[in-house]
Amino acid sequence: MGIFAQLFVNGLIAGGIYALVASGFSLIYSTCKFANFAHGSTIAFSAYFLYWLFNMLGINFVFSVILAIILVSLLGYLMNLFIYKPLRKKKASRVILLLASFALLIFLESIILIFFGADVKTIGYIKVAKGMTILGAIITPLQLFIIITSFVLLGLLYLFMKKTKIGKAMRAVSDNKEVAEIVGISSERIYAWSFVIGSAIAGVAGILIGLEQNLEPTMGTNLVIKGFTGAIIGGIGSVPGAVLGSFLLGFAENYGIWWLPSGYKDAIAFIILFLFLLLRPQGILGIKKGDKR
Amino acid sequence: MIEAYFIHLLILVGIFLVLALSLQLSVGFTGLLNLGHIAFYGIGAYTSALLVMNGFPFWVGFLSAGIVAMIFGYLISIPVNKLKGDYLTLATLGFTFVVYAVLLNWTNLTRGPLGLPGIPKPSLFGFVLKSNLNYLIFTFVIAAITYFIIKKISSSPFGKVLEAIRDDELAAKSLGKNTLKMKSYALAISAFFAGIAGSLYAHYITFIDPSSFTLLNLVPVLSIVIIAGLASLKGTVVATFILILLPEPLRFIGFPSSVIGPMRQIIYALLLLLILIYRPKGLFGKVELE
Repeated sequence: MGIFAQLFVNGLIAGGIYALVASGFSLIYSTCKFANFAHGSTIAFSAYFLYWLFNMLGINFVFSVILAIILVSLLGYLMNLFIYKPLRKKKASRVILLLASFALLIFLESIILIFFGADVKTIGYIKVAKGMTILGAIITPLQLFIIITSFVLLGLLYLFMKKTKIGKAMRAVSDNKEVAEIVGISSERIYAWSFVIGSAIAGVAGILIGLEQNLEPTMGTNLVIKGFTGAIIGGIGSVPGAVLGSFLLGFAENYGIWWLPSGYKDAIAFIILFLFLLLRPQGILGIKKGDKR
Repeated sequence: MIEAYFIHLLILVGIFLVLALSLQLSVGFTGLLNLGHIAFYGIGAYTSALLVMNGFPFWVGFLSAGIVAMIFGYLISIPVNKLKGDYLTLATLGFTFVVYAVLLNWTNLTRGPLGLPGIPKPSLFGFVLKSNLNYLIFTFVIAAITYFIIKKISSSPFGKVLEAIRDDELAAKSLGKNTLKMKSYALAISAFFAGIAGSLYAHYITFIDPSSFTLLNLVPVLSIVIIAGLASLKGTVVATFILILLPEPLRFIGFPSSVIGPMRQIIYALLLLLILIYRPKGLFGKVELE
């Protein structure tokens, strides 16, 4: 029972982080209609911004966190402005956009490598505290904080998409860009907003990961692929689906260690991705649309 | 000294030629944005190294590298072929990560992160390719053969069907072509040459570990193909020379070696972005990726 509960908690933590990654990714995918790999570097940048502001410049922690999130939102905005917008103007296909985002991911990752080096960094703001025991599973206060934060943020995102004007406009563009434009929604403006909000969520994810784990320049690549897998499982283009899929992925990975050595954790994610791409490409919550490309 | 350095660079150019030319077959001619290419390269490198280290002659390892990679290419193509566009890209990317995880974790076979040291230099018909000059000649012979085979394939009726699939799969289907089968063949042949390139690499460097076969190592190959332009083989040759040699002056400007690696990646990434924005057809290509 103890191991089962522990794996459940581990799955919940991993799922919470993946859900934050996947929801930002999915938000951009649903409006802009392409897989933005550079989302991974947004996450890594957020963690490294925090390291730079808090550990290197010695700025107050809360202020550093806020500043890091603002900076990555700006990064997302600039990515869209200087790379994706010109590409869209040239009517680039979604594969070209994906390729560009891949190049951007490599570019930004290399920037981190040059400025911070390849060795792992730790933020170490929250001292490793003794874990509490709940139902035989050990959980540290930080991990509890991660789970709560991700749930609160995902709830806020849901409300934002349902209640606010921009959220509604985003869903309109995501459903049908032409019709949205006819009723006076500027799709370019919505694309920019998607990047700002998606990157801000990625920023929060990056900070939580930075507090819980070590910082590595390549951390983003791995995470964006996990987030993407979560999004595919749940139904890409649907933010609630992406959240559901991410939690399932978190559990699958952690319970998978029962049968496989932990080194295969990443492979489990891909086997699930593969199965879903083959058997149910629209995901659990997705609706099969005519346009499968 | 400077001579040895140039020979080394040219051997790398030769290996990348085989990799890039074969990637043209799947990405350029057939239009499948295949990010699994580097995994086939890794499979080839490990197959060849393990066989030769266990006493098989070099030519057995060399050919098996291609054949084993080809088998994987064919098997992976069966599920992946039904996918389109970005889904296909992600599935092949997933394959790259799975192969990496297996290479890293199947320690009984691959020694995991420790890698395989002491891979023997190839010997052909009792003649050991000890000197790098000989290896260079061997690599370029293989690159030339690859070029001519892929050229031949591209101008054959089969090659034309592949291009038809890239431009309009539905139309190719309506002409009675079995497009799924054709795509499988294209991916398998492409994987074969990637495996051969892996063998060339393993026996040249004489040490391999899983870190040589990650997504990051695909960046130069993919950049070459996109910058050359889809389905342009001559362009691929030109682009391979340019892209492999271009970052080399960084070494002489006096950057520390920890910076040179990321700088190379930055150069490739920036070139890729500039090409995609300003000349999406590449330098010598005629079609755009869809």
